[in-house]
Amino acid sequence: MKLYRKEGNILQILSFPNETVEKGDYLLVEDPEANKGLIAQVIDVQFATIPGVLEELLRSLPDGGELIQGEDVDPLEIAPHITYIQDASLLICKIRATVENETLTPSSSWLPSRSQSTIKKLPVPTLLKLAKINGKLPITLGSTKDSSLLTVDASSIDGRLNIITGKKETGKSHLSKLLMSSLVSYRATVVIFDLNGEYVSLGMSSDGKRNINYDKIHVLTPSQNFKVALKQLSLRILLGILVHALHLPGTSTREFRRIWKELREKDKLTLRELGEIIPNWNCNQHVRDALFSRYHALVNCGFFTDNIGEAALLEEVIVKAKEQGGAIVINLKNTSTIDRQIVVEYILGKLLDTLTAGRLKATFLFAEEAHLYLRETYWDDIVTRMRHYGIFTTFITNQPDTIKESIYRQADNIFLFNFTNEHDLDVVSRAARVDAETVRSIARDLPPHHCLTLGKVVHDFPIVARVKALDIKTMGETRLFFAEMN
Amino acid sequence: MDTLLPKQFADLSLHSLMQSHIHSIQLNEQVFQQPIPEEHLESFRIELEPILLKPICDGKIVAAVDTSTMKIAETNAGIVLAVRGATVWKQNENYRYTRLGPFIFHVTDDNKNEVYNALERSYFSSINGQNRQNSPSLLQMPTRIATLLERWQQSMLTKTIQNGLILFDGSLTAGTPDTPTHRMKETLSNGRNRGNVVLAFSKMTNLRVHGCLITELKLERRPPYLLETTGLRLKPPMVTLGAVYVAKLSKGNCAFRLDIDNGVPSESRVKAVERLLGNDLVSQSYPETLRLAHILCTFTANEVLAMRHFITRKCGLQIINRPDMHKLLFGPFGKGESYS
Repeated sequence: MKLYRKEGNILQILSFPNETVEKGDYLLVEDPEANKGLIAQVIDVQFATIPGVLEELLRSLPDGGELIQGEDVDPLEIAPHITYIQDASLLICKIRATVENETLTPSSSWLPSRSQSTIKKLPVPTLLKLAKINGKLPITLGSTKDSSLLTVDASSIDGRLNIITGKKETGKSHLSKLLMSSLVSYRATVVIFDLNGEYVSLGMSSDGKRNINYDKIHVLTPSQNFKVALKQLSLRILLGILVHALHLPGTSTREFRRIWKELREKDKLTLRELGEIIPNWNCNQHVRDALFSRYHALVNCGFFTDNIGEAALLEEVIVKAKEQGGAIVINLKNTSTIDRQIVVEYILGKLLDTLTAGRLKATFLFAEEAHLYLRETYWDDIVTRMRHYGIFTTFITNQPDTIKESIYRQADNIFLFNFTNEHDLDVVSRAARVDAETVRSIARDLPPHHCLTLGKVVHDFPIVARVKALDIKTMGETRLFFAEMN
Repeated sequence: MDTLLPKQFADLSLHSLMQSHIHSIQLNEQVFQQPIPEEHLESFRIELEPILLKPICDGKIVAAVDTSTMKIAETNAGIVLAVRGATVWKQNENYRYTRLGPFIFHVTDDNKNEVYNALERSYFSSINGQNRQNSPSLLQMPTRIATLLERWQQSMLTKTIQNGLILFDGSLTAGTPDTPTHRMKETLSNGRNRGNVVLAFSKMTNLRVHGCLITELKLERRPPYLLETTGLRLKPPMVTLGAVYVAKLSKGNCAFRLDIDNGVPSESRVKAVERLLGNDLVSQSYPETLRLAHILCTFTANEVLAMRHFITRKCGLQIINRPDMHKLLFGPFGKGESYS
């Protein structure tokens, strides 16, 4: 390999056919005179502009587009040299750091010698060692192209905002499960908004037997094993549900406050009492109608109960998970949009209460396709307020444009799977911790189950890895019409 | 086809490269154009009544030969040159080719005679007496070695093709240091004996009538046609072994000097051109078979790089760039040596 050009933080390196370099690989450009080197990542592989190649190709096809048949008597064996030159490639590389005395600095301000510099592939383990991507709480994400393990530190996810994105069936849920299981094994509390019931078997291995995390996985299915009594709710949380999930207007909200106060004073905070008091409440008929329709929505969702014995105490599960680590899977499968929003409002409100009261140190929230249940104002809350309380969110989506731009700007880590759509790549490339060229070039060619890891978790050295296999029972598979026939 | 020549070429090529103690080579590309021999034009006449042609499509084989040469580098002792030849033939609507080379030679003042004579002896079993006395200069060597390869390919073609049309690049002028008359006569005779007709197309000519190049004469006739010429006398020992025509074989501005073996009767010569029109594609008055032969043997820039790569690897030569004195002295006004 030979250094050809440097423009800004882009290096162009000439590579010959016997040097197998692919997108995502790291190269070390060492200048022995300067006693330092550049670490650059290959973001594109192009044909080198070799003079005469067009003529070479054209003359092989003069016979009406068919290859002209013939024999080449080439006793000196020049042909391999011709193909060697013709197949030379130009590696477009992004400079990631300067290495000097085994210390990395994010600088690309110096120019290595074109004639004296040596260029070699930098194995991922060496890069990980140089960049000190390790730690006391290792999470092995998978294996890199050179069969080395990509191991990150769990603490680099702690307090961070993460995004897992990629098109359908590329392995997003698989990686989320891997992260969740790893966090749980480090005694972290994880809350999962499980839209398709994919995570309910986190405690089961693929053969259906219980795995090591079985006792730490708490699956809560709203209206089934997860119900709430009004008495267990704070007015703030219930108002959040009424206003944000059920869109109760301001005037009606004020009346509801009064109703709630009266019921609480009489110690009659039940659905039945609420249903009896609203029709007789002295207020405007429209307000009464609005309140009554919301009451019916609460009743019909089946999430609320007057039977205290039937009500599951989320806080209890949280405390349990806090002690030994655990994942609380909120199974939102078969839940209507409104009901889903009610449940999410309740969970987030409850989590905030628990964190504010100091009953929980912090929690990792995994939100799948969050745009389907997260209200507008929560997006900003998540990256600002909730983060400070200790809710560290990981968004999982196959529609990157459903996540607000501010989330991308603030994201600390991005786990990117394959995208081919330009628009999707555009959206992801807005993330502050990544350059657009890297995202566009590498993500487009990622095979299934290969993830481009970007951000703090890899100390800003984007690394491609095949996500390791998990022995977890697969759930959430698409129900197919032709499955049996096939 | 007899591959004895390529083997000899290859052996000599490697030998010349290995034997020399070259420390460095300098890059200096140059394409050699065969010089056009001086001709006596006093008696030269052209018949302005064209011979109109009707294509005859009878499936006769059309074959063509061409070679290319290039000086690919300079050494402190001489030059490194590359030669390649191509034979193309059209049969059953398909073109096929045999390409010989590239052969790379390191030619110095010390070894030029040895290299050239060894090649000549290998292929024609004799050395042209004229050559022994007047050895080619170093600058002429690329053309001379390429001509040697071309003449051998032509000779092989006339011995292997039967009842076909054989196309040469250039003229049928003989008696030059690299084309002895007896050899060209032998080649043409071999061709005739096997029912072939040799046609030679010159891309450039200096033959003029009333000051006008014969290929630039404008006639109000629809091509294809031939214009016959007479009275071409060359300075001895040069001699032309072909009947010289101007061939305008298709629409457009191009016309070429066409030499047809004058051992073939006049009618058969015209028939041969008609057969060429019927059995080969002709674009811009130039036959496709010959065009392909030229294209296939021409060196591309990529191949020049590859050959330099080969000599660097094979002989451990260090390539250096010789400063261009024109650029050095005249800056942006120096257009390089190729313009000098």
